[in-house]
Amino acid sequence: MSSKEETHQRLKAAVHYTVGLLCQRTGENHQTEFSRQVIAAIAETTFRQCDTFAKDLEAFARHAKRSTISTEDVKLAARRSTALSRFIQNKYEELNHEQRDLKKKNTGKRKNRDTEENRE
Amino acid sequence: MAEKDADIGFKKDMVSKLLSSFFREDKTKISGDAVLLMAEMLKIFVEEAAVRSLKQAESEDCDQVDIEHFEKILPQLLLDF
Repeated sequence: MSSKEETHQRLKAAVHYTVGLLCQRTGENHQTEFSRQVIAAIAETTFRQCDTFAKDLEAFARHAKRSTISTEDVKLAARRSTALSRFIQNKYEELNHEQRDLKKKNTGKRKNRDTEENRE
Repeated sequence: MAEKDADIGFKKDMVSKLLSSFFREDKTKISGDAVLLMAEMLKIFVEEAAVRSLKQAESEDCDQVDIEHFEKILPQLLLDF
């Protein structure tokens, strides 16, 4: 097996694991069970969907003359469903708020340290 | 930090490696924030697949979600994404 295939095998297994957990939780919430075959099928489909996503994202970035995929490219990949676009937009804003709060915390700490040093 | 065991999802490192493995060009990279958003999108994809399959099974009065239920909802799922 080539190393690329080995990587894909490992990644497939990791995807399968998370898919299994998500299906298990969904099943528990509805008092139903997912068969092992259907979990494997969902995992395989998710893995293949990643291929589509990855190539789309790469194409979007290249179209914008960038070599690094950005959040704008992800938002574009979510364009087909309004609900999905809105969800991704919300997550994007959550991310930005977290980063802004972190920056405020750090500048706040620095300001306090300065005033303490002045008092001494 | 307390661990929320209800927060199942795709790990950032894994998503990054996964997407990178499919890029056509070596120079293509993905930003950290984009990886986080993609992890969310994959999670939704799986949850949609699971819930739609489950609803299909329920509409057929089956007490287990099987591959035939997933097969029926798969075309629309792919179109929606």
